[in-house]
Amino acid sequence: MFSDFAALIVLLPVIAFVLTLFLGKKLPHGGAYLPIAAIAGSFIISLGIFLQIYPEGIVQQSIPWFAGMNLGILIDPLAVVMLMMVSFVSMLIHIYAVGYMSHDPARPRYFAETSLFTAAMLSVVLSDNILQFFISWELVGLCSFLLIGFWYHKPSAAAAAKKAFLVTRVGDVLFLAGIVLLYVNMSDIITSRAFSLAPGNFILQFKSMFDAIPLIDKTQLTYITLLFFGGAVGKSGQFPLHGWLPDAMEGPTTVSALIHAATMVTAGVYLVARTFPMFVAAPDSLLVVAYVGGFTALFAATMGLVMNDIKRVLAYSTVSQLGYMMLALGTAGAVVGAKAVGISMFHLISHAFFKALLFLCAGSVIHAVGTNDIREMGGLFGKMKITATTMMIAALALAGIGIPFINIGTAGFFSKDAIIEGAFEYGEKTGDLIPYGFAVIAALLTSIYIFRLWFMAFTGTPRSERHSHESPGVMTGPLMILAVFALFFGFSQTGFYHYLETNFELMGVSIAAHEGEAVPPPIIVVLLPVIVGVLGFLISYAIYHKRMLDMSKLISSQNPLYKLLLNRYYEPKIGADLIGVKLTHNVVAQSGEFVDRKIIDGLVIDNIISNTLFQLGEVVRKLQTGVVQNYASVTLLGIGLLLVLLRIKFGGT
Amino acid sequence: MSYSLLAPEIILTILGLVIILIGLLTKDESKNMIGYLSAAGLIASLVYVLGNINGMGTFFYNALVIDPLSQIFKLIFLVVSLLVVIASISYFKDNRNQDEYYALILLSTVGMMVVASANDLVTLFVGFELASMSTYVLAGFEKRNPASLEAALKYFIIGSLSSALMLFGMSLVYGITGSTNIPAIIAYFKTNPLFATSSLDIIAMIFLIAGFGFKMALVPFHMWAPDTYEGSPTVVSSLLAAGSKKMGFVAAFRVLVLALVAIRMDVQMAFAILAVITMTYGNIVAISQRSIKRMLAYSSIAQAGYIALAFVVTTQMSIAGGVLLALGHALMKSGAFIAVAVVGYMVLSDNRNAKNTDDLDNFAGLGKRAPITAFSLFVFFLALAGIPPSAGFIGKFVLFYSITIEAVAQASNWLLFIVIIAILNSALSIYYYARVIRYMYVLPPVGEKIKEPAPYVIAILLAVIGTIGVGIYPEPFIRMAMNAASVVLGV
Repeated sequence: MFSDFAALIVLLPVIAFVLTLFLGKKLPHGGAYLPIAAIAGSFIISLGIFLQIYPEGIVQQSIPWFAGMNLGILIDPLAVVMLMMVSFVSMLIHIYAVGYMSHDPARPRYFAETSLFTAAMLSVVLSDNILQFFISWELVGLCSFLLIGFWYHKPSAAAAAKKAFLVTRVGDVLFLAGIVLLYVNMSDIITSRAFSLAPGNFILQFKSMFDAIPLIDKTQLTYITLLFFGGAVGKSGQFPLHGWLPDAMEGPTTVSALIHAATMVTAGVYLVARTFPMFVAAPDSLLVVAYVGGFTALFAATMGLVMNDIKRVLAYSTVSQLGYMMLALGTAGAVVGAKAVGISMFHLISHAFFKALLFLCAGSVIHAVGTNDIREMGGLFGKMKITATTMMIAALALAGIGIPFINIGTAGFFSKDAIIEGAFEYGEKTGDLIPYGFAVIAALLTSIYIFRLWFMAFTGTPRSERHSHESPGVMTGPLMILAVFALFFGFSQTGFYHYLETNFELMGVSIAAHEGEAVPPPIIVVLLPVIVGVLGFLISYAIYHKRMLDMSKLISSQNPLYKLLLNRYYEPKIGADLIGVKLTHNVVAQSGEFVDRKIIDGLVIDNIISNTLFQLGEVVRKLQTGVVQNYASVTLLGIGLLLVLLRIKFGGT
Repeated sequence: MSYSLLAPEIILTILGLVIILIGLLTKDESKNMIGYLSAAGLIASLVYVLGNINGMGTFFYNALVIDPLSQIFKLIFLVVSLLVVIASISYFKDNRNQDEYYALILLSTVGMMVVASANDLVTLFVGFELASMSTYVLAGFEKRNPASLEAALKYFIIGSLSSALMLFGMSLVYGITGSTNIPAIIAYFKTNPLFATSSLDIIAMIFLIAGFGFKMALVPFHMWAPDTYEGSPTVVSSLLAAGSKKMGFVAAFRVLVLALVAIRMDVQMAFAILAVITMTYGNIVAISQRSIKRMLAYSSIAQAGYIALAFVVTTQMSIAGGVLLALGHALMKSGAFIAVAVVGYMVLSDNRNAKNTDDLDNFAGLGKRAPITAFSLFVFFLALAGIPPSAGFIGKFVLFYSITIEAVAQASNWLLFIVIIAILNSALSIYYYARVIRYMYVLPPVGEKIKEPAPYVIAILLAVIGTIGVGIYPEPFIRMAMNAASVVLGV
């Protein structure tokens, strides 16, 4: 029923993209209603499919494309929860953007691009083969580039767009290399008749890939999964390719909410989850995932502590939370097998709700105050009650506050704590508690930076003479809806885990846990995440609200630690100045230029290559005299030439 | 015998004659409807061809044959004519000789379709002449424009010369084999391989190559093409470059390939040299052109060079690649010429007496002045350069791939070398396309934004959809081309 319209999930936003692009200027609100309606349609179809296939159906459709590839749709539990989340959050953000972008003359372009972005992201989610996944993934990257540079006349935005494009490209190349390596291995085992495609299946379909796992060489599988993970690292802003995400905040805040919090950046996590059976079969890769994820969670959180730009704090928070999701896949995957996908995806979706909410609240504040700098805010609570309250809810969710034992709490309380507990179980089984350590410390820092942000923005006295007001209903409406989800989504935890647990079994792939059955962790481990969450709140309350500690000593350019954090571990310096300018530009590009200019162009052939072609063209052009007699002669000459050619070849009689 | 498979030709012939009659009886002001009538007739024929895409049959004592090869080329001719007619509704609006124009277009289309179906050298020649005679007149249709007249005259003189050469070749073939029926000729060659190395065979084949090469605009039989494309009315250039050029290819597929295979004459090297010279020449000269119509003319010479690669290895796949590229080229090139016609319209609406409307300078800022045209031209250029997903990419890919396979199979280095030259040529062509793209999108516009007339926009967008559609979903077209290729090779 609904599954017959599965293709429309992607096509509707594509149609909206085309219509908005061409007709947007003539429609009210820059044509915003077209994408909203289209994405609402996608959401309804996704929801319908969910209700139709729950609890254990899947939708598979596929048509042959070319050269043994196919275009297809695979909607399993994993995909359907993603579909619903992406279309729902995207719809809310589009509605919000009607208000947020109301003063921007380029609105039609904005709505067209976000609509295309949503289509691409939905297409990533429901791809049934890795090639289509990759193509959509690239399209997502392109839209992200366009939207970060939406205000392209701003040099910083243009630079940020370029940086995002280049850095994620590093990951994409790795991902593509992984696909190629996978393809080579697949065709090897197919030609050696060790493996044959099931009828109606195609070579790069996920199903075929999973079926072939036992036959692929283990080392090769590790390379493939590591290369895939390289793609995920780029897209999801994991260390060391995280630098682009905070800079990406140069785009409109709605874009940050849509792309760099709720949807696109989760594509990397989704990639690992989608190909999880392969990762489970390659434990070394899983270990890398766990460590990179855990380290990123902590590393990004430390920088979130000192940023003064409200959006940058949230950006680092996103990087950090994505690290948690990777950590869940890496550690829990080793302990509980396929259930890890449930744990990770649960956090992904609850994060999507509260992070979108945080960004939209930040957008509401920026819209009202006109600055991104939290040092210039303060005392906004009285003026922006809805924004302040919803943002507090989101902050509580991010910090994972809740009441243990009776299991009442925010979305983050359920989703993040499960990850931390998973990391602990992993540590118990393997004796490696380092990822757990990363996770707990990061949880404390998370709580500190997010409440610091809230207290600095909403309490105290205004620190600048700015006029501020509550945002219009079209903006606060989505805030309240998201707040409801941030508060109550967590209660679906048991059902959610249960639903996703059988995800790969539905495709006929079973994943065994490596380290045997899990046992309930000790009480202290269950309590610790909440304790550090509350502790963080208290620290922030003491410092930034009550001003019990004088921070000016700490926050000074004299303090090397503060300097290190404020300069983001000198990553932009190392990345842009050292690697980018000094190494790449000065050494590689300059030497290239030297070779090009001085040797190729200058000394040896002096512009000959470039000029010859042009001059050759000129000379040959002169043959075209325009005199028709010459043309006839050339024709006859050609016949003579052919004659000579063929006679020489055969020497006929 | 049922003639329903010939319905497309019959419809167009009758319509062509009826239009002349209508032209006599109607007032000048109401002649604008004739364009719509012609488009309707072409659509009807197109639907008929599509409906019988797998039709088979011979007619009139084996003079005409319907098979996959004829059907795919009829598809090409009809699509190009349709695009040209739609664009002409704007181009020749309020022209008092419209009736003759459309009648000639339809009759030349019939001529091309007869060539596609020809199963006899005489039919082939008649089809060639019908198409050529009509297009001679069309090239000079702007009779007050000296450039148009010059174009027509040159086209006519060189065209007549080539017809004479071709006819001479045919008469030699008849002299050798005693038949004008193509299957009979092939059968004769198969059973009498003794003649394979005789001078007469070679001379006959060379004259046929020259005659077909004129239509295909292969170097050195191409000299007329740039002058004619530049001087003709732009929509007619579109018909010549995208449509009538393919006549040479279908004739070559039908006669030359089979005959050459049959007499086991190893002309690989000769065709390889022709193809390589043609593509390289076309691309290099295109670089220094400032007239976009001329640039497109040279680019279409280069494309003919790529298509001619199909003759080099004559495997099923290479011929399928040639057919695909012919199809792709028909879409891209007709679209590109029509886009240039829009620019001409734009320049003339700025200044009625403007000369050289297709000069590169007039394309400055086109992205702002005529966004749909500029974007479509952008798509056509990328497709012509062979960038996926486009019809141009699919054609080149299949073609180059087939030659690479053959090179590996024959362990032949020089075949591989030819593929490399072809790919380098593709890269070279990006240079001059990119220059126009830069003009369109980077340089500031030289005038106000214009309203692009609807017929132009429809024609261009149809071509864009076709170009990208074939690129995204090539499967059915590849299948059609493979079927056509199996006809060519007689397997």
